[in-house]
Amino acid sequence: MSHRSRLLTRLASITRRVAVVAAVIGTGLVIATSRTLAATPGADSSAPLVAAASDLKFALDEILERFHADTGIAARIAYGSSGTFARQIMRGAPYEVFLSADEQFVHELHAQGLTRGTGELYAIGRLALFAPTGSPLEPDPRMDDLARRVASGHLGRFAIANPEHAPYGRAAEQALRSRGLWSALRPRLVLGENVAQAAQFASGGDTEGGLIAYSLALSPELRRRGTFALIPDSMHAPLRQRMVLLQGATPAAERLYEYLRSPPSREILERYGFVLPAE
Amino acid sequence: MDWTALGLSLRLGLATVAILLPLAFLLARWLAYGRFKGRGFVEALVALPLILPPTVIGFYLLTAFGQQSPLGQFFQSLLGRPLAFSFEGLVLASVLVNLPFAVQPMQNALAAIPGNLRDAARCCGLAPLSVVRRIEFPLALPGIATAAVLTFAHTLGEFGVVLMVGGSIPGETRTIAIAIYDRVQAFDDRSAGVMALVLLVLSLVALGITNTLARRMARHD
Amino acid sequence: MTETPNVRAALLVRLRQSAPIPLDVEFAVPSGSITALFGPSGSGKTTVLRSIAGLYAPLEAEVVSAGERWTDSAAGYSLPTHRRRVGFVFQDYALFPHLTVREQIGLALGNRPAGARQARIDELLALARLDGLADRKPATLSGGQQQRVALARALARDPAVLLLDEPFASVDWALRDALRHELRSLQRALSLSVVIVTHDFEDVVKLATDLVMIDGGAVVAAGTVEALTASAALPGLAGHWEPAVALDAVVAAHDSRRQLTHLRARDLQLSVPTIEAPVAAVVRIRIAAREVILASQRPEGLSLHNVIQARVLRVEPASHPALRLVHLAVGDTPLLSLVTADAVQSLKLAADAPVLALVKAVSVEAFA
Repeated sequence: MSHRSRLLTRLASITRRVAVVAAVIGTGLVIATSRTLAATPGADSSAPLVAAASDLKFALDEILERFHADTGIAARIAYGSSGTFARQIMRGAPYEVFLSADEQFVHELHAQGLTRGTGELYAIGRLALFAPTGSPLEPDPRMDDLARRVASGHLGRFAIANPEHAPYGRAAEQALRSRGLWSALRPRLVLGENVAQAAQFASGGDTEGGLIAYSLALSPELRRRGTFALIPDSMHAPLRQRMVLLQGATPAAERLYEYLRSPPSREILERYGFVLPAE
Repeated sequence: MDWTALGLSLRLGLATVAILLPLAFLLARWLAYGRFKGRGFVEALVALPLILPPTVIGFYLLTAFGQQSPLGQFFQSLLGRPLAFSFEGLVLASVLVNLPFAVQPMQNALAAIPGNLRDAARCCGLAPLSVVRRIEFPLALPGIATAAVLTFAHTLGEFGVVLMVGGSIPGETRTIAIAIYDRVQAFDDRSAGVMALVLLVLSLVALGITNTLARRMARHD
Repeated sequence: MTETPNVRAALLVRLRQSAPIPLDVEFAVPSGSITALFGPSGSGKTTVLRSIAGLYAPLEAEVVSAGERWTDSAAGYSLPTHRRRVGFVFQDYALFPHLTVREQIGLALGNRPAGARQARIDELLALARLDGLADRKPATLSGGQQQRVALARALARDPAVLLLDEPFASVDWALRDALRHELRSLQRALSLSVVIVTHDFEDVVKLATDLVMIDGGAVVAAGTVEALTASAALPGLAGHWEPAVALDAVVAAHDSRRQLTHLRARDLQLSVPTIEAPVAAVVRIRIAAREVILASQRPEGLSLHNVIQARVLRVEPASHPALRLVHLAVGDTPLLSLVTADAVQSLKLAADAPVLALVKAVSVEAFA
């Protein structure tokens, strides 16, 4: 075999092998990017992506069910801490509608040009003191029993949302401070990543209770698990909850947003304790 | 049962295995047979994801391909959206995080091949690439299969990094592991339980397959 | 029968380096020979073998096979192992565990049209006495069978030189003579040039035609087995080796009535008890020096068959102070005799003196 033809044969066999390996990796890449290849931008353009504060959990589920029944559009919803969502949206997360438990986050996003307009207030949030069944804690609006238990030194764990990024956590801290209980309670606190997780911890039985969203305390889930008392709104800064349409929102998302402002939605929201100042 | 999330997890697993395995094989081979200074250092790098908290990995990944980074911007120009919070971003994160699960079994399998066999192959007239294809690859197959199954199973269960890099975007980055977390937070223990059971069964099946494969191939010899 | 060495050597080897493994060897492997690389463990002989195959690259190396340049460190040239026509039988056989015997041999045959390939495999299977084992995997074979597979695989390369690394090390010594015989037959049948690494001197005496002694990575002696054994100049073996000559002899005739076989090693004619070898076959014989009696006159009434006219070449001291090693020549064929110094004196043995060498038929060891 001549030197040249030997070289060519070698080249051919190496190319063949590289091709096989490339095919395997290529398949992987195709699977990886299939979502992008299938449709733009960010999958199903007919399924709007919603980021909502976790205190809206039960209320918004109901609203979206009705929305689906009425329009046939199935929204995709993620519940979590408003602060976390705000940060993700700033980093490019593809949400289309944002319902924040604190309007400050909406204003920040608007300042960065990430929203369409400044959105609107959809509720004033309220705090509730919750105690699971069997807990020694007795919920009352002024948190007197809580104060007694703290003073006696017998208090177990107590749950709130993380004040760093959850509006309800911040409100809980404010309420506890105004009652003079913050420093004493601090070592006993269990922090939820968002207020829904805090409600979980508060109702689970491993804590004596917690400060959670009123809307969650009103839900059938939590009603079954314990008792609560509504905390006066004088004890904390108002939880002004604002919703907004984000840049890149699809027509379907716009429809959803309008639906959220409509009377049927308002009725559901009210049932869960989400009231507007006027109401 | 969140079928979308399950489908997402399965596709993530498959994509990770398809992309990672050939690359990890090359790396494993280099570590098994190469004699160079700093080999220990490379091995330590590869093993990092085993000990680093997922949040640390997630943090560095976000820094590496967040919107401000060159990689992130390149990707953005390519696909019109950021790498973070996308399925592609998950695949990239998953490939990096699973490096030790893919490399180590293959490295061990390749190193276990007696040096004489590779020498004998050369003495039989096999060119270096043929030695890889006809001797190293078949004899290391149990290790390769283990690497594939471990990577797949580990990807299914990966949580911390996925959450940090991908968020929990339904249909895009909400894998089944995250969906379970989400369901628990939503007081939906029933759904969470169903999905957890599915994951458990899948993991058991995966491990069972690895063991059977390994045993069957050992009998080969 | 004088053996005319083939002028073109099967291998020319020159290796030199100081670290990590010290090497300083230079030797030639005559074509058609079985050259033993002999030395203690750790002497570097396996390294030399691997360097020949191209599995190891000393700093300074030159390996030429039948005129073809394999390694030339000065020119920065090294032919890759897979392109050298070399057959290597490893000490642990190094069979591929996942392939059948047929597939192992097929692998070494390389690219060939399918029909010719199968025919060649069958040929090699028969040659190595592996019929019936073609579809077995190495794990199901005995040690001896595995070795034959390794051999067949090495032969499949149609090698310019066959390299064996301690091939009998893991074999029961009862089987070794049989295996040496097999190897010799194969080598003769195929006219192979063989290099065999060994630390067992029996392999040298019974099998090899040429010897390269290696210690500490350096050649301490080299030459034909006949010449080196006859000279008793075997460095490092003093005290561990019974002085003896190792010669190749031809079967001249069988005497069935007296149950004797007549052998001829060039000028030396011997009778031995009948051996299993056809007339004209070449056998290796060993005559230990202590079995050779010297006489100044032909004895009568003894059970002796071999009374040989010889000439004294020189007398040397032996391992024991009271003993002497007498180097004899029968024509141009060497012979050794170990006697007391006293006997040397009384027989007045000195260089060029004629003497009779008496060897019992039984004392001549013959290896087919």
